[in-house]
Amino acid sequence: MPAAIRNLRNKPDVLFVRLPNVLSLLCIVVGVVWLLLLPLNEYSRNTYISENALLPGQVHAYFTGSEQNIFRGYKKELEVLLNEGREEGVSQDVAVTPAAHNKVHSILQAAGLKVATQKYEYTSAGITHHGENIYGIIHAPRGDATEAIVLVAAWKTADDELNLKGVTLALTLSRYFKRWSLWSKDIIFLFTPDSKSGTQAWIDAYHDLQPASVQPLPLKSGALQGALVIEFPFEHNFRSLHVVYDGVNGQLPNLDLINTAVAIAGGQMGMGTNLQEMWEHDDSYQARLKTILRGMTKQGLGYATGAHSSFMPYHIDAITLQPKGEGWEDEMALGRTIESLCRSLNNLLEHLHQSFFFYLLMQTNRFVSIGTYLPSAMLIAGNFTIMAIALWMRTGYYSDSKTNAPAEKSESEKSSDTKGQSMTEEKTKGTPVAERLMAMPLTLVSGLHLLGLVPLWMFNTLSHQYFTTATYVFVVVDVVLPLLLAALLSSGLGLSAPIVPQQYLLIKSFTLLLLGLSLSTLATLNFSLSFMIGLLCAPLSFIVRLQSPSAPVRFAVSTIGLLLLNLLSPPIVLLGVCWYTGVSVESVMTQAAFGWDVWGMWTQVVVWCVWWPAWLIGCVVLGSSMF
Amino acid sequence: MTTFSLFSFLLTLAVALWGSNVLALSDYHEQLFLQPLPQSSLLASFNFRGNTSQQSFDNQHFRYFPRALGQILQHAHTKELHLRFSTGRWDAESWGSRPWNGSKEGGTGVELWAWINAADDEEAFARWITLTQSLSGLFCASLNFVDSTRTTRPVVSFEPTGDHSKTDGLHLLHGILPGEVVCTENLTPFLKLLPCKGKAGISSLFDGHKLFDAAWQSMSVDMRPVCPPGGECLVQIEQTVDMVLDIERSKRPRANPIPRPVPNEQLVCDTSKQYNSEDTCYPLEKMTETGWSLTEVFGRSLQGVCPLAETDSEQSVCLRVPHERSVFTSEGASEIKQDDGYTRCFKLDPEQPFDLAVHEQQMNTKVPLEEPILHAERTIVGHGQERGGMRIIFGNPSETTAVDFIYFESLPWFLRPYIHTLQATITGRNGVRQEIPASDLVTETFFRPAIDRERGSQLELALSVPAASTVTLTYDFEKAILRYTEYPPDANRGFNVAPAVIRILNSPDSSPVYIRSTSLLLPLPTPDFSMPYNVIILTSTVIALGFGTVFNLLVRRIVSVDEAAALGAHTLKGRILSKLVMLRDILRPKATKVE
Repeated sequence: MPAAIRNLRNKPDVLFVRLPNVLSLLCIVVGVVWLLLLPLNEYSRNTYISENALLPGQVHAYFTGSEQNIFRGYKKELEVLLNEGREEGVSQDVAVTPAAHNKVHSILQAAGLKVATQKYEYTSAGITHHGENIYGIIHAPRGDATEAIVLVAAWKTADDELNLKGVTLALTLSRYFKRWSLWSKDIIFLFTPDSKSGTQAWIDAYHDLQPASVQPLPLKSGALQGALVIEFPFEHNFRSLHVVYDGVNGQLPNLDLINTAVAIAGGQMGMGTNLQEMWEHDDSYQARLKTILRGMTKQGLGYATGAHSSFMPYHIDAITLQPKGEGWEDEMALGRTIESLCRSLNNLLEHLHQSFFFYLLMQTNRFVSIGTYLPSAMLIAGNFTIMAIALWMRTGYYSDSKTNAPAEKSESEKSSDTKGQSMTEEKTKGTPVAERLMAMPLTLVSGLHLLGLVPLWMFNTLSHQYFTTATYVFVVVDVVLPLLLAALLSSGLGLSAPIVPQQYLLIKSFTLLLLGLSLSTLATLNFSLSFMIGLLCAPLSFIVRLQSPSAPVRFAVSTIGLLLLNLLSPPIVLLGVCWYTGVSVESVMTQAAFGWDVWGMWTQVVVWCVWWPAWLIGCVVLGSSMF
Repeated sequence: MTTFSLFSFLLTLAVALWGSNVLALSDYHEQLFLQPLPQSSLLASFNFRGNTSQQSFDNQHFRYFPRALGQILQHAHTKELHLRFSTGRWDAESWGSRPWNGSKEGGTGVELWAWINAADDEEAFARWITLTQSLSGLFCASLNFVDSTRTTRPVVSFEPTGDHSKTDGLHLLHGILPGEVVCTENLTPFLKLLPCKGKAGISSLFDGHKLFDAAWQSMSVDMRPVCPPGGECLVQIEQTVDMVLDIERSKRPRANPIPRPVPNEQLVCDTSKQYNSEDTCYPLEKMTETGWSLTEVFGRSLQGVCPLAETDSEQSVCLRVPHERSVFTSEGASEIKQDDGYTRCFKLDPEQPFDLAVHEQQMNTKVPLEEPILHAERTIVGHGQERGGMRIIFGNPSETTAVDFIYFESLPWFLRPYIHTLQATITGRNGVRQEIPASDLVTETFFRPAIDRERGSQLELALSVPAASTVTLTYDFEKAILRYTEYPPDANRGFNVAPAVIRILNSPDSSPVYIRSTSLLLPLPTPDFSMPYNVIILTSTVIALGFGTVFNLLVRRIVSVDEAAALGAHTLKGRILSKLVMLRDILRPKATKVE
């Protein structure tokens, strides 16, 4: 073994060129394989309730009998008012008519709740979203307004369907809960016009952090301990309960909350639960992996998957309960589930803090925690760092391609070198030491990273009708810009000193270093986003500036390379995904701009300030082979 | 506002009755006042008052004054004492202004303030600690936790209600425990202070199960010296229990307290709806006043009158419902209707148990409720582990008069307010918000900054809210990081911040009006205690194993048995031998190293 290392020292081309490539590739492969291993029983765990105070399903739920008559009464009443409103010309876009809105107000008031309203307005991508939230508070009978639980019913579900039964159920529950004296926390019933902006406006105002276009809340309670969102957008009975849990920027609620919901729905109520739209989950490897990947996609994109998502940034654990399928479970069963969940949350003595906040779920009762899955994204981020360090070391020597070149010039430079380098030099006897010309590479890399702010600003401020055009324009820019930059660089930017090959290596080293740094940091916050960007950027590790073959071959190879790289550029990936899923580019970009403006979504920042500059520099390095 | 106020009535009634007996040096009165409130609630206000002359108090001749409390007060040199136990929230929106204008209630938890006779601050504080420790034992409350960090010395928020001689060096000290849970263990000692100890009279209605099921409840003990002009000074003790019971809930049988859905046929439905059918019901809110009786609501009947009470001129039970409402009482009680149209009092038969029943009835007139002079709400805003903000909203419902008041807040030391960030926003009835400098509203500020781990900060603001407007005050604060031993051992739900006390200065009838905000929960950065615990256990084990082995190897000398025997001998030979062995041990490692 020592002999092998000694041998390696004498072969800098192996040490600095081949070995890093192999290591990087190994990191990526192991990273991907690691993820693929997670669904296996050996690497995942069964979920369990960590917070003993929750006691899920230990209480009898009494929401039955004549409460159903009241549910039907409220539903008919709202139906009549909605239909009347439609006849009077309230547009279909607005889920709730003013009369129905007022009815909710009067029902809550009649049930003895403290009721208040809040108007809000958001403008994003030239579209104005406005509405009025209405909420009622049940004061805990002997409580002192220090803690509260939120029940949300949006008039429009996350899928833009009319959530009539959900709203009615929340109203019926508010009347029913008011009679109970056991609540230790206030219960807030929140009715929002939609699932996207209403809750965000409300929760921002609750913490007094709302923008000027959102009214402050006239009525408040204490610290929010948890939130449940009720959806029931169809008439027939349902079969199972779909638990939606992804928050904005990939934040997740405490796993205990999901476990409690699953335990109550499955164990106490005897209905099935689903995650991530996996309606047929046979607990096979494929199904588990698919669930993980779906969860990762949502987490990585970081958008709000429902009304619950807005709560997560404030460290309030929240989930949406969606009834799915056709079966025999009616709205009362959903009501009892919510009653039992509220009773569990009511038991909490402290904020949900046990269990996990970072996890990947593969089945309602199986998960992997951060300690197990994190190495996967870290390895992929690490491949960039390995390559960057190798390039940095490689730039310290002359003529890396020719082995053991004579070292005449090294004397003068040795003194100017740093201590670390001279030590390296000592070890690799005979290899000459080069001075690094860093000014230009540093300027270029930081300049191009700052350039990322341009598309970031553009795609968040444009009006929505220009998004498609802008995306196509950006595809063209992505083709032209690297070639332009490469041409400029090779002509020395019009400055005196022409660019030397070492500087290309330094440019690549710096950009990969930044990429590795950003992605490994991001992996701890949003594993999935880091993983996805890491995979998309993986080719950038292996891009080199071609020098050896003749000009036509170089030209051909680099053109093909550039074409392939362009397929992995952010706008092309966006177009490709849109084409594959059949969603229009405009709607995706509108949603993204809305996410930036309203939800505080950070995905764009990662795309335009981490991924895009790295990709651009990769293209420049490859494109420079042509000149 | 023109309506005759219920609570000023309550006060005048009490004062009138007291006035008639003002010259009696030693007497005892008790009174129960009942009033149904909206949303099927019932306010029950118990008042017990005993007097003793200052002279007999000093000589420890206690008759109506409880000896246990009297001796504590004498020992701690306390001249005036106010102790409050409260839970729940008074719902001013539905129930109107507070009983006794808020002067007999405290913030959530336990609140205590007293005027102590002492030469200087230090002595006063020492006596205050004596007082809190003793009261803690007497009332089974954690009053002993009122230490220097929780003690404040309000400047303008409280004024003595008793008549004190000018020569006394009185010190006002105030302490509050917002996290204290008031329960039956506090009621029992409270009842023991009463002359009839809950066996007879109105105190016989107290049932822990019902009392502590109330939506809002406040118990108070007030002691003060009273010197009528020209008369001899008295020491007066007044105890009150105010509670708002949910009639529906109290009427549920104890064996079946679960509010199950009612059977279908008992649903009250709006039959005018065209969809109304067997299985569809739009519930109709009940238009009638709920019926109730004392036995239903309190779970027991009233056991006659307390024989020690001055009963001759007194009607000890009063009920405030419109005169048209029919009220049934048990035999032997006589009803006297007051001419205000709403109040009636009952004279009880001392021998027989008393019950009172009000039946469900459709009513046209309602008892007018007085609107509160000021609405106040205080919340913590912002989020995160480091900073936060306080937001206090004052609403003045009056269209004509401005409200002047003192806002008093005692904050724990780990909440560090930035008073320079104090900002005011004023909102008129038209909803237009306007930022104004806080100095426009705040006429005076008394602020005593906190010292870490020694005392909390204390803020008193003299404020004025213009008519028909809402004022929002905000300021920022920083959360301190506690040492890990400073976290309480219980479940960490956050730290309680004591309620703010508001004293209204320009009240209509010049009696003190107090409002208290709700308490707040302050989440502080908290380590996950189970994690360091696990880590400590694990590392300790590893270190113990490793250290133990290494230490053992280092200090233990391995010798053969015969050498050991020689070493054990305290002879010259033994000593020399042991030195030799030691020398050998020192030399041996060197030898191995050379190899």
